Amino acid sequence: MNNVSDRPWVEKYRPNSIKEMAIPQAKVSGHKVSLDEELRSFILTFFKEIKALNEENKKIRSYNRTVEEKKQKKESNLPSDKAAVLLEGPPGVGKTSIVYALANDLNMEVIETNASDTRTRDALELKLKETVKSRGIMDFIVQSKNKLILIDEVDGIYGVTDRGAVPSILDLIETTQFPVIMCSNEYKRNLQPLYNKVTKFEINPLSKEEILKIVKRILKNEKIENLDLNDLNFIIDKNNGDLRGIINDLQGICQGGLEEDNKELISQLHRDNTEEIFSLIRELFQDARTLQQARKITDKSDVDYNFLYKWVNENLPTFIRKNNELMIAYENLSMADEIFGRIRKNQYWSLLPYFYDLFSGGVVLARKQHPENEGFRRINFPRFTSTGFFSLTIVERSFVEKVKDKYDVSEVEIIQKLLPFLRKLTSDSRKYLKLVSDWLDLDAKEKKLLKK
Amino acid sequence: MREKIPIWRIKYLPRNLTEICGRTELTKRLLNIVAEQNFPHLLFVGPEGIGKTTIATLFSKAFLGKYFTSNFQKVYADIPLTSEELKQARSDAYVPTNKIGSLAGKKITTPAFIQIKIKPFIELRALGDVPFKILIVKNFEALGSNQQAFRRLMEIYGKNCRMILITTKVSAIIDPIISRCQIFLISPPNYGDFKDEVQKIVDKEAIEIEEENIKLLYKVSEGKIADAIDLLQIASISGQIIDIEMLYQSLMTSKTNLVRNLLLLCLQGDFQKARELSRKIQSNYKYSSQELFNLFQKEVFQLPLSRYARSHIINIIADADFRAVDGMDTDIQISNLIAKLCDFAEVL
Repeated sequence: MNNVSDRPWVEKYRPNSIKEMAIPQAKVSGHKVSLDEELRSFILTFFKEIKALNEENKKIRSYNRTVEEKKQKKESNLPSDKAAVLLEGPPGVGKTSIVYALANDLNMEVIETNASDTRTRDALELKLKETVKSRGIMDFIVQSKNKLILIDEVDGIYGVTDRGAVPSILDLIETTQFPVIMCSNEYKRNLQPLYNKVTKFEINPLSKEEILKIVKRILKNEKIENLDLNDLNFIIDKNNGDLRGIINDLQGICQGGLEEDNKELISQLHRDNTEEIFSLIRELFQDARTLQQARKITDKSDVDYNFLYKWVNENLPTFIRKNNELMIAYENLSMADEIFGRIRKNQYWSLLPYFYDLFSGGVVLARKQHPENEGFRRINFPRFTSTGFFSLTIVERSFVEKVKDKYDVSEVEIIQKLLPFLRKLTSDSRKYLKLVSDWLDLDAKEKKLLKK
Repeated sequence: MREKIPIWRIKYLPRNLTEICGRTELTKRLLNIVAEQNFPHLLFVGPEGIGKTTIATLFSKAFLGKYFTSNFQKVYADIPLTSEELKQARSDAYVPTNKIGSLAGKKITTPAFIQIKIKPFIELRALGDVPFKILIVKNFEALGSNQQAFRRLMEIYGKNCRMILITTKVSAIIDPIISRCQIFLISPPNYGDFKDEVQKIVDKEAIEIEEENIKLLYKVSEGKIADAIDLLQIASISGQIIDIEMLYQSLMTSKTNLVRNLLLLCLQGDFQKARELSRKIQSNYKYSSQELFNLFQKEVFQLPLSRYARSHIINIIADADFRAVDGMDTDIQISNLIAKLCDFAEVL
């Protein structure tokens, strides 16, 4: 095979031109707009205006050279909303792709910086400002390509490592010689100064029909025929509109070998990694003796941590039996949970290391003495989930509806007050069980609710 | 029809204002209002389970007469919106650009709860020959910061609709709301009225109870007549004559008792059993962690503990509750509480 097929399909099928791609729907402050048209006109007007502006500034500069300092005029800048736009939308809908496709159509060069680059003020300036302000030596000889600056994943700017990035991007927008396009997945408060300055395009996920069209084209191109529509739908639904994810999954399935059963491969894509968690939990509680070991064990697995700490909660009492050790373990685990809540609520990602250490090492090291031979302990699935909200099962819901017809009180009162009372009443007397269930017209399942 | 209802608390539910047990002063006032056909927004304050909502509903029924069904709505502020309702609130929040008006293309920022549950009702005028609609908002304090949105609603739509806000904690309600309402303090019926009501039921159901035991019933049910009727009915299963023992037996299985058992298990240091029971309580009663912590806190005073132990346990509960505010998994926080209590039990 040639080396083209080694490339990830995502790169291979990245559209080269606007015409090739599915344009996602976009909105500017609630109005629907056509994304490709808007971006194209943004880029073209930018170059037109920057040219006029440069002429103007040239005049000012030559004027300034002749007059004394006090009377010097200021050079003007392009208004920031004409210099930069922001594309905001979920991952994998084509934000980066549309920029590259457009640049290709307009014969431009894209200078990209993304979350993998450090974006301190200095680093950004080094990478961008020089390209922005000056032109290379070659520019005087050959008519070079126009450039487009793409700041991908701006929402990834945070913390100490990227300190000063926002002001320096703002600075860049003020003085740029090339149009700036920024991409972001979600609203971030620390980016508010940026939001104020630029036009924001809100991009919606692609529709299922469009995705299906693209997927079918790829499959045809790769000469893959043994995936039926159900499988495709399954993959598409699973990825929830993320085209990149869908193409990656497709490649994963198809490159595994076409002879094998596709269904199995698909199910392998989200195989249940319960077994893995079982041994992980065992290892964590029985083998870890230091914080470093505990961290190593949790690090090497690819189990989702926001899942893992629930397993730790469920199985903690099977390994730790002494009350004073339990107390210390839960002190740490509940602290970890609190920290996790704060991270999720306020995006305090800098707290994440504490969370990691507390729920793994902090818990298992509460045990001061490890028995020599602990033997096999059964690991439980974290089956109990408390939602925190008042949520009813289907049977409970239908029961509540039936009661409500006869007795007008709230769902909460029915479940918390009336139902326990009815349980007591009907468990003591068969007569009442019949009377109540006849009166409420209960079916077998709902009667069971009374017997619980 | 009514005779066939097997549940006494529903069977003996008052059907109009005059049937309400005791509280004659209050019902007289309300009947006067009905005669006048006008009232300001009302705020009903009183302990849980004594019949505030029943009184408010019966009052609305009397006030609206035959136009009751179309002009009356009851909203529970403590029940969160379902996911469909939230979705609808989100889609309603955008005013499409094809609509005419200054809001076109903009986003409405009314809280979802008010947008979905309150506004559609109060925006429209009353139907039929009544001066205005009546909206009952139960557990008003649960609205929290959304109370602010009510201030303007009460003024703007006051002409269409009067509100009866019902709450157990007047301190949790913001001043601007209180200043817009006439406050009714609702108390449990006094012993004389309570006794008459019980006696009436006892006569009808052909059971017997001594006066002494009615006193006891009044004490354990804290004057909450519906709870007392529940106890009576359970006690009546095993015999026609109701004595103290039966009353106590039926009392032992009530919900606060489960929480007490849970607390006792913790203080015996049995973590496994305590966690199992706590999970059972959570799934059967659907308590939120906060409610469970509050029940715990109440139970601490019922147990024979030293002063030091009591304050220390309260401290443990407060700490767990505090963490649950920010935490993601309430089971972890409750397990934390249980583990700490178990540990403390060894010191006791």
